Amino acid sequence: MGGVLPASSGGALSRPMRLVRLVLFSDYLVLALTVLYVAALWFAVPEIISPTNLNDIFLQVLPLFVAAMGLMMVLLVAQIDLSATSIMAMSCVVGASIMTSQGGYLAGHALAPVAAVLAIVAIGLLIGVLNGVCTIVFDIPSFLVTLVTMMFFSGAAIWYTAAHTNSGSSIGALPSSFLAIGYGGIAGIPYAALITVGLAIIVHLMLTRTVFGRWVRAVGLNPSAAAISGVPVKRVVIGCFALSGLFAAFAAVIYTARLEAGTPILGQRILLDVIGAAVIGGVSLFGGKGSVIGVLIGVLFLSAVDNGLQLLGLSLSSVYAIKGGVILLAAVVDAIRHHLLARG
Amino acid sequence: MSDLLLKVAGLNKSFFGVQVLRDVGLELRRGTVLGLVGENGSGKSTTMNILGGVLTKDSGRVELAGEEVQPASSRDALALGIAFIHQELSLFPNLSVEENIFLDHFPKRGAGIPFIDRRRLRDQASKALELVDLKVSPTTPVMRLPQGERQLIEIAKALTRQARLIIFDEPTTSLTARETERLFEIIGRLRAQGISVIYISHILQDVMRLSDDIAVLRDGEVVGAGRREDFTVERLVTLMVGRSIDRLFPEREPSQGPGGAALSVRGLSQPGVVRDVSFELRRGEVLGVSGLMGSGRSELARILFGLDPYSEGEVRVAGERLPPLKPRLAMDRGVAFLTEDRRGEGLMMEASIADNIVLPSLVERSRGFIRWLDPAGLDQAARDMAERVRVNARAIDTAAARTLSGGNQQKVVIAKWLLRAPSIFILDEPTRGIDVGAKYEVYKIINTMVAGGAAILFISSEIEELIGMADRIMVMGRGEIRGFFERASFDRETLMSAALWQ
Amino acid sequence: MNGLNSRALALIALRFAPLMLFVALCIVFGALSDRFLSLANFRNILAQSTHVAVMAIGMTFVLLVRGVDLSVGSVMYLVAVAMGLYLSGLPLALSIPAIVLIGAAFGAVNACFVTGLRIASFIVTLATLFIGRGFALYLSETKMVFQSDTVQTLGRSSFLAIPWAIWIAAAVACAAWVTLTQTPYGRQIYAVGADPDSAAKAGIRVQPIVFSVFCICGACAAIGALISVSQVGAAAATFGYQEEFPVIAAAVLGGTSLFGGRGGVFGSIFGAVLVQTTANGLVMLNADPYLYPLVNSLIIFIAAWVDGRRRLMTERIEQRKIRVEA
Repeated sequence: MGGVLPASSGGALSRPMRLVRLVLFSDYLVLALTVLYVAALWFAVPEIISPTNLNDIFLQVLPLFVAAMGLMMVLLVAQIDLSATSIMAMSCVVGASIMTSQGGYLAGHALAPVAAVLAIVAIGLLIGVLNGVCTIVFDIPSFLVTLVTMMFFSGAAIWYTAAHTNSGSSIGALPSSFLAIGYGGIAGIPYAALITVGLAIIVHLMLTRTVFGRWVRAVGLNPSAAAISGVPVKRVVIGCFALSGLFAAFAAVIYTARLEAGTPILGQRILLDVIGAAVIGGVSLFGGKGSVIGVLIGVLFLSAVDNGLQLLGLSLSSVYAIKGGVILLAAVVDAIRHHLLARG
Repeated sequence: MSDLLLKVAGLNKSFFGVQVLRDVGLELRRGTVLGLVGENGSGKSTTMNILGGVLTKDSGRVELAGEEVQPASSRDALALGIAFIHQELSLFPNLSVEENIFLDHFPKRGAGIPFIDRRRLRDQASKALELVDLKVSPTTPVMRLPQGERQLIEIAKALTRQARLIIFDEPTTSLTARETERLFEIIGRLRAQGISVIYISHILQDVMRLSDDIAVLRDGEVVGAGRREDFTVERLVTLMVGRSIDRLFPEREPSQGPGGAALSVRGLSQPGVVRDVSFELRRGEVLGVSGLMGSGRSELARILFGLDPYSEGEVRVAGERLPPLKPRLAMDRGVAFLTEDRRGEGLMMEASIADNIVLPSLVERSRGFIRWLDPAGLDQAARDMAERVRVNARAIDTAAARTLSGGNQQKVVIAKWLLRAPSIFILDEPTRGIDVGAKYEVYKIINTMVAGGAAILFISSEIEELIGMADRIMVMGRGEIRGFFERASFDRETLMSAALWQ
Repeated sequence: MNGLNSRALALIALRFAPLMLFVALCIVFGALSDRFLSLANFRNILAQSTHVAVMAIGMTFVLLVRGVDLSVGSVMYLVAVAMGLYLSGLPLALSIPAIVLIGAAFGAVNACFVTGLRIASFIVTLATLFIGRGFALYLSETKMVFQSDTVQTLGRSSFLAIPWAIWIAAAVACAAWVTLTQTPYGRQIYAVGADPDSAAKAGIRVQPIVFSVFCICGACAAIGALISVSQVGAAAATFGYQEEFPVIAAAVLGGTSLFGGRGGVFGSIFGAVLVQTTANGLVMLNADPYLYPLVNSLIIFIAAWVDGRRRLMTERIEQRKIRVEA
């Protein structure tokens, strides 16, 4: 659905304009840009394509991709979820507090990691549902609802961590069976990668092959028409928020396993990455448009930019600023696409 | 100086290849009221929108006081002295009366000083309110005023801009009888002051009462114009509805006649919307619903389908009660609803034709708890249905609905519901804005459905369409049913009068 | 007509909800802590709420046209950095206009994307939030930025026994109030917020109005930065961090609607005082500092919920489709 060229106005445009349009609307524009970028940077910092670096990028990409897929669900119904990273923070500290060997609730218990993962996932789901219900039932704009939940759970996570660790800043000493998610694997493929690919396949199939997936797109494109066609709009929107929370929790599982600790500032830096990756990957802020592949490409692009800038020795603040700029650019492209399509 | 304020000649306008105005010409003398009548789609609104700067003409000439004018925006039109008071008023409820009146030309404390002179504002606003005989304080927030008073404020607004011509578009649809009388008084005063008025209304008695001259539009052409004395309500109706309807409607296959009740409604009421509506819709029957805009027909349709609530009464589908606000249940019981706003509520413009067609039928065509779909099967079903309604498009599964013509878009919406094989089909203005050829095809589809035993509720503002298609016609007005007419006694004038009766 | 009366009553109740909340809070805090209900403490609250008040006034302009500006915290930091690193040698008479210009310029950048490309303001300002802070961190090299003596003195001194911060805030408040209520521009802002399409049809220049409100918000953020940094003396890398929350909360609590068309200067000042009262009360109670964001977010939520209910009720009262004579 993404790459449809506007049919009617093709005749009147000059050749260079048509080329621009072709490029702008192409699904693979970003992928091409990524390759170009890496190639360009290879001259300055050849280690960008070294195996260790690529591995780093790969492992960074996985949880970001998971979180971005969740956010895509919310964007598809023309809403926003600013709390995704706070959900990560809250869920991971609670999970860590259950399984940590330093006085955790189920410390030493063989099933502690399982319980912890279940708790993480449950919290993500619950907060997601909370976001959805407040947006739909109380009719408060989603950016404000999720801004509030972001604040609330960010603070709650910090408080929770301090309360559980004598004012420490993270909950560590996690059992090795849990950490295996981050470092172990089967036949050379990390568990984290398996989880991610599995989730990606599920989301892709859901969007393309199930009724719910079609309903999500319908609600994003035209909620009134969807309602009249029998789509349960309210339930669909709440469901998307729930999925966003759920996927944020899954991402938290992977991050926590790699960082080897539950930390309340987890994800503080990556809110912009998550939203940005989705928007860069072609998920429209106006609703109705987006795909799993697109999100993957967006995540790859952003991670490459991030990695390249760090290799170039630019400070964290510059990376911050540049990424903000890149996302703004992506929003600009999205808006241009949207307005051009609407007119043509 | 000539007595003529406005002269329009040779006005033409087309939308998406459909010609909506054909050589339209009007004349308006100073200080007189020109009544403009015509059915929906006759071109009245388009003509006025061109005068008001909202649309641009394709060709023709508009002269104001002898000089040619081409307003390109409503601002231009205002500057020329043309004020257009739309049916949906454009006041700002969060501001006061005086602020609304002077919003773009506040009296200031001095030249170049950007502060509002509150005292002069109060004075000028009071004077403007006096002109329209409205006794409210200028500082009242508009939010607190009823519709009738808001309309007077719009007139006051126009007067403060030295309007020479005020166009009223269906001004009395949301007014009480008393407010309507007050409006007429004001219009009388405007005439006396030398201001010209164009009065557009479906309520012919009012038009006859107020106008000095009348013009009748039909299918984008002026079919009658002259002094009011030359017209009667009956003649107006005949001119509005006039053309021969024989060749426009396909033959109905002789059926055994209507069967049992598919839909029965008793005592349906919703305060402010509909009152005590009762009727029966039988299988194999087309029940036309006629009435003016604002008579409650579309609202009734929405209530029946479950999108809006009702407080009293009973709706039964095939004998079983249908509770309010349950559109999915209505759909499951075989009800389909084609809304009057196909762009806003009927189609997902950015989605493909196929996606649009299959949307209401997804659950039935899915398997298992996960509701798994078969995209190839769905596409095939969509293609078959698109063929059945003869949608002209190259690639059903990739072309966006946006790329289709109005007629084809409407056929897609019909296809979407046909896929569910509904037993009750509520159609709200199904042929609005589509060309003659597509209309004929829509009529044929409806006839096929009826022959197959479906029950059709056909809401339309075109009386001749209902006469051509319906078995019975139900006339609504102000949220109530005014009467039923059988096919044998279909008479254009009678139907029109029933709808227009105040 | 009875239905209309009870609805009108509900509307009144909703309008005074923030005031009732304030009174309730004072009672609760006063009961739980004897240090709360003192004149010195209230003066403290006022002085500390000035920078939020000023910024809330600026945010009100943006909210009135249905927009939002999430980047005000970064503008604060950027201005503080500029003030400390580049403008420290200048007298206040020069540096203050300079920072106002910087703030307005930042707002103009936001405005370009919002009006020119019609991108949702929340995403534009979310991006500029990061761009601004990143850029400022680059300038400051993440080090503490100390302010000049002139600035620090400003924060400590008073004029006629009233701290300078309050004078500045009062000046901004007056200017804003006059603009919103006594100029055509101000009234047109309300119209644009109520119905941008009708406003355009009525001949109002909507784009320049929307553009200018973002500039005003940026300028107010700059003034807020001045007040805040003069009170604190230096700007750490987290200066202004997440400041957009209390600012938006203050505006919404003060009656500014997220849906545009409603709100005002004094409401926003009251909202800022309310927010600061909560923070102050929590301090007086020796409450766990970790609770602050929790309480703040709940308050914002309540304010937003009230706003939503108000809007729903006003819509229902206005909507009258068919007048069926009873």
